Amino acid sequence: MWRTGTMDRQLQTSALLLISGLLVEGLCLLWSRPIAFIVLVSLGGGLIASGVFFFLYSLLFVAHSGKAEKPHDPEGR
Amino acid sequence: MPTAAILILILFSALLAAVLVFRPSITIHPGGKILAFGVLFFLPVFCLVTGVGSEMERSKSTAFCLSCHIMEPYGKSLHVDDPTYLAAAHFQNHRVAPEQACYTCHTNYAMFGTFKAKLGGLRHLYVHYLRKEPAPEGIQLHEPYNNRECLHCHLGARSFEQGAVHNADPDTLPAVKANKVSCISSGCHDVVHNLRQLDKVKFWSEAN
Repeated sequence: MWRTGTMDRQLQTSALLLISGLLVEGLCLLWSRPIAFIVLVSLGGGLIASGVFFFLYSLLFVAHSGKAEKPHDPEGR
Repeated sequence: MPTAAILILILFSALLAAVLVFRPSITIHPGGKILAFGVLFFLPVFCLVTGVGSEMERSKSTAFCLSCHIMEPYGKSLHVDDPTYLAAAHFQNHRVAPEQACYTCHTNYAMFGTFKAKLGGLRHLYVHYLRKEPAPEGIQLHEPYNNRECLHCHLGARSFEQGAVHNADPDTLPAVKANKVSCISSGCHDVVHNLRQLDKVKFWSEAN
């Protein structure tokens, strides 16, 4: 249900988005200026939300599509 | 949660997410699936919520407000050595928490007050970065100062309720409480920050 090549790529993309968002958040917490709050919420929050939604989307629509799980049949049966 | 703890949590979450970038195959096992859910859903959401909460709390600090160059004279006015300066007297005598001095007086003590104060802050950023900002002494409040903000602390206090001037006329106190007579702009407590006079006053130093 979960193991497909597409799923791996989706997990990696989701993890990369989340790492970027977390790094932005970390930098904003260190950079104590008013604009840092805006960057944290808009850019950091946006990246983290994208990563989470991408992961949930993958769970729902990629993992359950079952296409890659179908065994390869050269005779087309 | 302290900022250092949030930063450690962020670093930890990012490292775990990096494991999934390089080894997505670990999710083949049930333990890997649980890890992926924790790393790609639970931890980032938790980090974001605590991070935004921490920034919201920090945005109430006096240092945060004074980190904008345009606010420097207002910070300076808190150190005027003259008890008639309302903001300075409140700050120096800890009538408001000194570390949240700006926020305590300039927030709105109605429902959604903090939210409105933050929206006001966004407007300040917009003006600062995208419009021509006024000189510090030209900055005005969005709306007339409401007595409610003063009464949040002073209502019921002996000096307010039984003060000689407040009770000289029986109509004064009810009018002040109903916000019909302003504490600040009716001529009673009208020396607040007075930036235009800052070059003519003495300053108090906490070290003395």
